[in-house]
Amino acid sequence: MTRQALDLTINGESHQLMVEPHWSLLHVLRRELGMTGTKENCLEAECGVCTVLLDGKAVNSCILLAEQARGRSIVTIEGLGDPEHLHPLQAAFIEHGAVQCGYCIPGMILTAKSFLDERHGRVPSEAEVREALSGTLCRCTGYQKIVDAVIAAARQMNSWPEAARKA
Amino acid sequence: MSLNASSRSAPPAMSFSFHRPGSLDAAIAFAREQGDAARFLAGGTDLIIQINRGRVAPRHLISLDGLGLDRIDEAATEYAIGAMVTHDAVVNHPGFQTNLVALAQASAVVGGRQVRNIATVGGNIVNASPAADLVPVLLALDATVDLRGLNGTRSMPLDRFLVERGRTERRPEEILTAVRFDKPPAASATWFLKAGRRKAMEISVICVAAQLVRGGKARIAIGAAASRTVRVPDAEVLVERQGAAAFREAGRIAADAVAPIDDVRASARYRKLLVAALVERALVACAGRIERGEA
Repeated sequence: MTRQALDLTINGESHQLMVEPHWSLLHVLRRELGMTGTKENCLEAECGVCTVLLDGKAVNSCILLAEQARGRSIVTIEGLGDPEHLHPLQAAFIEHGAVQCGYCIPGMILTAKSFLDERHGRVPSEAEVREALSGTLCRCTGYQKIVDAVIAAARQMNSWPEAARKA
Repeated sequence: MSLNASSRSAPPAMSFSFHRPGSLDAAIAFAREQGDAARFLAGGTDLIIQINRGRVAPRHLISLDGLGLDRIDEAATEYAIGAMVTHDAVVNHPGFQTNLVALAQASAVVGGRQVRNIATVGGNIVNASPAADLVPVLLALDATVDLRGLNGTRSMPLDRFLVERGRTERRPEEILTAVRFDKPPAASATWFLKAGRRKAMEISVICVAAQLVRGGKARIAIGAAASRTVRVPDAEVLVERQGAAAFREAGRIAADAVAPIDDVRASARYRKLLVAALVERALVACAGRIERGEA
């Protein structure tokens, strides 16, 4: 077919790829790069499990063409922390038992990160968190603990200097 | 690394080539050359889904990214929102928090935040969905659209641009570059209300936008109630003449004027009840904001 060269920056690393023009960013992450932390489900921007950060903002990678991410910075759940150095959101999700089946959690955490980063440390209300997460569905319906975890993480991140919060 | 064969992310039956023109004129010339085989790509939050569903099968996608259409320009007497401005940018624009707050209210309920970070104002207009949330607000602001084509730019009222579901006055090679509207006077207000089956991530069952100017014009526009987003001039004139005393009657007139359909989201009858209630409520909200100086 007609593959085109595409250089994507994912979690700070540059990846040189040959992609079909119709491939979604989700397809490239999972199939071409084996980065299966980003989940695949509805493929129509309804459920949010495929959420990644594009220049810091949460987007549905299932309906974003990989081409549309050219020249921009992508962060996936793999880029957020590791078992020794958890992001405060990851630590809070564990502490609050916010993870049931786990399938929505990468999307939940990245959606929450994008939301909290935009607020520059201001701690959100429960209603604001629920609205912010409305594009990300948990079919275990474990929302209460997820919302609790996001607020707890926000409180912790609130005490950080701005530069550390962005990391 | 590959998943099982039944995976639903199989590539669409027909692929396309992706183009990044270096200028608007190059984009227009290429679109002209390719005719029906080409589609412009804004955010793609609707178009990519339609392609994946096999409903449209363009052979060329022409990206409008990077062509300078992603700015909100404020001039002395008007705002111009570029076609590639995202709903997220509208929600957070400092100029859209007081007497133009309906813009932020409408953009805030387009999809979830992941969609609002990508989906564009231009896409919302050009798609010509009768349920587009931002369009009633723009109609209530007497907005004008700028269309750039082979012979430069032409402008027309948004009300004339919208023809019916999925159809506009845009020629295939034309690019909607911006939507413009006058800055409203200080003693004025706008309000937007949406009814859906849930509070978020929902296509409107009915949406209503209103603008009131103290001692001046009234505007009422309704989405998801007819084959296109509509204004209700009879109700507007009544409110302009009689003020708050006519708010309820304006709702009744609006309900009579629209032609909603029965569908999976609501019955036509229920939609008419919503129109009457939401039009009145939006007008009351505008009047209250002017009264309290919140406008």
